[in-house]
Amino acid sequence: MLGEFEYLILSAATRLGEGAYGAAIRQEIEETTRQRCSIGALYTTLDRLERKGLIKTWMGDPTPQRGGRPKRMVRVTANGIRAASNFYLTVTRVSRGVSWEVNRIALRP
Amino acid sequence: MGSEPDRSPTMTRIGWRLVDILSRMLDTDERQAVRGDFAESGQSVARAIRDISDLVVRRQIGLWTVWQPWLALVGIACLAGVPLSRIAFRLNVELGQQLAVYYTYGVHLGTLLTPQQDIAWLLCLAIALLLWSWTCGFVLGSLSGPAVWLTWSVFYFMVLDFASVRFVLSGNIILRDSQPVRILMAAALPLNPAGLLFSFSALWGAFMGVRRRVLPSRTACILASAITIFTILLTWMSGWYETAHELWSSGAWHGDSWATRLLPFVVVSWPITYLLATANRKQTHSHKETT
Repeated sequence: MLGEFEYLILSAATRLGEGAYGAAIRQEIEETTRQRCSIGALYTTLDRLERKGLIKTWMGDPTPQRGGRPKRMVRVTANGIRAASNFYLTVTRVSRGVSWEVNRIALRP
Repeated sequence: MGSEPDRSPTMTRIGWRLVDILSRMLDTDERQAVRGDFAESGQSVARAIRDISDLVVRRQIGLWTVWQPWLALVGIACLAGVPLSRIAFRLNVELGQQLAVYYTYGVHLGTLLTPQQDIAWLLCLAIALLLWSWTCGFVLGSLSGPAVWLTWSVFYFMVLDFASVRFVLSGNIILRDSQPVRILMAAALPLNPAGLLFSFSALWGAFMGVRRRVLPSRTACILASAITIFTILLTWMSGWYETAHELWSSGAWHGDSWATRLLPFVVVSWPITYLLATANRKQTHSHKETT
């Protein structure tokens, strides 16, 4: 079972597709969650996800925008997509009938 | 992002310099990626320092999730460090006494042994200290990897200070006119012959250990033979003092047995067995690969 932050990274990386790398994933997570995402948490979790075989990372080409430094590119593997789908299904299933879920459906226009 | 105000250009420059220094504790690829992320997102220096410190701390903690740095810390820095500290302390005291008496009075200090025996003993002790320090340093570096800065520091202070602190606490050494700066310098810097021999040898060993990880089987065997020879020699030679004191006291003095004298030398020699084991394993692997 994935952790919450692992799921956030997998979702952000999947949404970004070819453009998924450290800074972009971090920005995506900060914008969607409206919370700070530390580089320490991001990079150590990327390592953990890679060890689990859920993502693949490699060093991209250096760009002038980054002061000639390369990006750490990220691609979600098939196992990663499966793990994120399972996590989402589990959260959806376990949330069925609970007050915030019922209220959310009732409030939906 | 990048919303925190920077105080002044000088502070900002110092801040980025600090980020640069801290990022050197990361591996090259990660350092480049993180510095690139900072540049791209236009992050403030305050947040960059916080972020890089957070990552460095996480990476350093991550190094201790395997057993190797723990073995280096407990087995070498603490276990082998204690007898090595006593050996270095003994070399310093005996060498210092001999030199002081020779330069002051022009005679050999009466240890109940001949000058030749005393010189042979001190020479063997110094060579053995070099060998033990290098071996301990190498295995420390090999086991610790990037965590070597911490394990080596513990090892360094343990060897430099353990015996002195023990003697001070037991009341055998009384610090007179103790000035904090002088005590601090004596505790932190290798300001004596044994301290210098140990420091340079152990530092060189640790450097080689981090870079090479294992020794070629032949080198490990030669080193093991040298350490075994010096261990036997020192156990035998330290018996000269015990015998001389027993004779001088007409049997009233009961010196340490050979087993008691051998024990600290064996404890400080254990890293060579690790070197032999890893060197042999590497050779076995390459042999299997070729067959």
